[in-house]
Amino acid sequence: MNIKETKNISTPNERVEKALKLAHQGQPFLNAVVTFVDPENQLENLKNIHPDAAFYGIPIVLKDNVNMKSIKTTAGSHILANYVSQYNATITDRLQAAGAIVIAKSSMDELGMGGTNLTAATGPVYNPYDLSRMSGGSSGGSAVLVASGVVPFAIGTDTGDSVRKPASFNGIIGVKPSYGRISRYGIIPYASSLDHVGYFTRNVADAALALEVLAGRDDLDMTSSFEEVEKYSANLNGDLSHRKIGYIANVVRAIENQDVLTMFNSLIEKVQSTGAEVVPIEMNEDLLNAILPTYYIIANSEATANHSNLDGLRFGVQQAGNDIEEIMSASRTAGFGKLIRKRFVIGSFSLFVENQEKLFRKAQKVRRLIVEDLYRALNGVDGLLAPASSCGAPKLQDNSLDQLSSRYLIAENFMVISNFSGTPSLTQPLGYVDGLPVGINLICHPFEEKKMFEIAAGLEKLTGLADCIREVGE
Amino acid sequence: MNYETVIGIEIHCELKTKTKMFSSAPVSFAKHQNSCVNEIDLGHPGTLPSVNKEAVIQALKACMALNCTIDPVLRFDRKNYYYPDLPKGYQITQQFHPVGLRGSVTIETAAGKRDVRINRLHMEEDTAKQFHYATETWIDYNRAGTPLVEIVSEPDMRSADEAVAFVEKLRTLLYYLGVSDVKMEEGSMRCDINISLRPEGTREYGVKTEIKNLNSINNIRLAVESEIIRQTAILAAGDKVEQATRRYDDTLKTTVMMRKKEGNVDYKYFPEPNIPPIRLTAEWIEEIRSSLPELPEQRSIRYTEILGLSDYDAKILTQNKELSDYFDEVLNYTTFTKLAANWCISELPAVVSQENLSELHTTLTPKSLASMIDKIGQNVVSSKQAKEIFPHLIKGESLQSIIDRLHISQVSDTAELSDIINKTLDEQPQSIIDYHNGKDRALGFLVGQIMKKTKGQANPVITNELLLAELKRRKPE
Repeated sequence: MNIKETKNISTPNERVEKALKLAHQGQPFLNAVVTFVDPENQLENLKNIHPDAAFYGIPIVLKDNVNMKSIKTTAGSHILANYVSQYNATITDRLQAAGAIVIAKSSMDELGMGGTNLTAATGPVYNPYDLSRMSGGSSGGSAVLVASGVVPFAIGTDTGDSVRKPASFNGIIGVKPSYGRISRYGIIPYASSLDHVGYFTRNVADAALALEVLAGRDDLDMTSSFEEVEKYSANLNGDLSHRKIGYIANVVRAIENQDVLTMFNSLIEKVQSTGAEVVPIEMNEDLLNAILPTYYIIANSEATANHSNLDGLRFGVQQAGNDIEEIMSASRTAGFGKLIRKRFVIGSFSLFVENQEKLFRKAQKVRRLIVEDLYRALNGVDGLLAPASSCGAPKLQDNSLDQLSSRYLIAENFMVISNFSGTPSLTQPLGYVDGLPVGINLICHPFEEKKMFEIAAGLEKLTGLADCIREVGE
Repeated sequence: MNYETVIGIEIHCELKTKTKMFSSAPVSFAKHQNSCVNEIDLGHPGTLPSVNKEAVIQALKACMALNCTIDPVLRFDRKNYYYPDLPKGYQITQQFHPVGLRGSVTIETAAGKRDVRINRLHMEEDTAKQFHYATETWIDYNRAGTPLVEIVSEPDMRSADEAVAFVEKLRTLLYYLGVSDVKMEEGSMRCDINISLRPEGTREYGVKTEIKNLNSINNIRLAVESEIIRQTAILAAGDKVEQATRRYDDTLKTTVMMRKKEGNVDYKYFPEPNIPPIRLTAEWIEEIRSSLPELPEQRSIRYTEILGLSDYDAKILTQNKELSDYFDEVLNYTTFTKLAANWCISELPAVVSQENLSELHTTLTPKSLASMIDKIGQNVVSSKQAKEIFPHLIKGESLQSIIDRLHISQVSDTAELSDIINKTLDEQPQSIIDYHNGKDRALGFLVGQIMKKTKGQANPVITNELLLAELKRRKPE
């Protein structure tokens, strides 16, 4: 059932009450919530909002890097354990103006840096389909709260594939629109040139509706676009017959899991049977292999500067020290996890004068080459498809995947190309392998979100996978 | 051995915008501490910068006045370092692509004119202000995010005189442009001076020191002069100058070491990802160029070539923008240009302090001063009388009321004066004879008599003319 239909059959209070009940019921098993938000004032404020507003009385969740005034915003890090937001992110304002009721802030990998949600200060988030498996990250809490039926919509952020990968692992839809489509003002950053606000829903109709609420120019974010916001949800008929759709052959080739391949091929056949043209597209394999190292250098370089304000003096939990330098050093050492410190070191190292040309600048050049190759691949097609992951969600402690294999470098990380290029991209359910969801990813041309949702609606009809919920903890 | 001094100057100048460089918080000096800030200035997690268009306009004006080449693509970079006065842990500046490049200004000292090249002008944000006490440091974030331009000269100056002339030149220019208060004492203009010595006739630069935190023109002169003496003594003794950052100590009357330069700090500059490159259209840049106010050099040329003032008068007037603005307004109401200039140069500053010049308009309107100048020019009141009138005029009393109250208007009416002169001569036949016998004192005596009859209000020039004519007519056969 989509949000529009839900609004017709229940009251805001009923919806919020149910969401909170499910959230509390699942929390001991899923650990997806960092902070519960009291909905009372927000419900009270609904009297100022028209009942036709898109999210009127709809319970939602914000990833814990989204500022909401007077509520704790920890970004999954110990260093921000005591940070209470002093202002609203632009999207918090937009969602509340559309009638949304924020019921919780959700768990995430520390500062958004990670794809497992194992680095969250509050501990791992568990996959509702198998509690011994990971949710994926970094927007793991939001993904799980949507997948387990708590809320129909949750905000995530996507710097590498942090919305689209957990969407795949949790059997839901994860959207990352074009760079500049949704304001980033008020979102605790990871890497500014790669950061996107994204979100999770359980069906394409809701995904299209949500972008109407979230998108639009914001003068507080100079990278936000003046591009017109379309009626994305209007006339979504899912007609694929006139489409020409490509799939990335390199990604398919890098996948070993036969079940995933079978599901993918069967979907491609169904797409063809609608009359749509489907073509395999070969991308430059060397460039695809270079995505991850390029990403690490750019993302970590930007991240090390972005988090320089967390020094224990103005922000962050303060540790003792004899002088300012000692306080900063001690606070940052104690406040950040090991992985974050490692990433900061990589970032700083890449920016040093003696390294900047051969690391940071070179990474930016490679990024441009990768983006050019993506545009070449997109040329002449409406969108590009590929499985969003090579298997279902891994076990929590699974380190078996060879990080130099093309399965890891290409199949598990190709979605970063949409962060490099700012192209809109979404993941939706493809099917199940051993009871675990696996998603399919779609990449479209910049600011062609309308077309992206239309294709996604067509795919949703073919898979029949909409509104998938896995409740936990009855 | 004789040494040549080589000086380069970096100037940080706060722009006079309503709001901050990257946020909508107000810019204001001396407001209650930490009151002019928002979440952006405080570097709260998740905030983003938005470039202040007014600051860009002001920086472009400064570029134009300094004859810089303007980069039509505005780009910003991050300068990374940890310090409590830097809320974000990085400063947004323009390292790789400054808005202005390769400018120049002409300075003039007793040694003559010199062109000083400008290396670059870039925009950045100011840091917060720290107050150090015995055991604590307090921080006022009002200043954080205030728009700044940094202007860097080439090492083209050769003396304390030239250093001072350069800073004064920039101060005047930026002030005329209306882009800064340029108050060194309040820190809205800050000056760092790089100074080195080299044997006269050689080209290689010597080891330089940087003198920071100079808060007045006078201190610039004292600091440079004392640093020249200090470095000369070191070199003369065969020692080496140590590269370091120094400051001028008022009580010791010399520069003292702040910190040694131990290699360069790596600020890990990289392009600011939150501000996309902004293209400035040629039309917009030209629009700003055409809105530039009259600058001191242009004004000086107008004064000498069109108004016919002396070079000296033009210089004195243009050095002080308020004064010459006032002078220009006075000229709207009188055609006695030279008289107006004299009054503005010598009489006004004698009674009005610099701070009160800008408020002068409210008490002594340019129109009111012009009306008095007209009366002087038309010989209705004498210069001496004008000086009596002036203290009352400046208090806001109207000219006519002063003249009436003090009975000091001159008798300039020739018929009336002729009557009085004839009456006086009729009474003093002996003086007529004495005058024609060459006794000059007789003329003075007669003028005195006339002044007595008119209570000193006879116009001396006209009286003199008429008296001489009448005496000639009455010459004994």
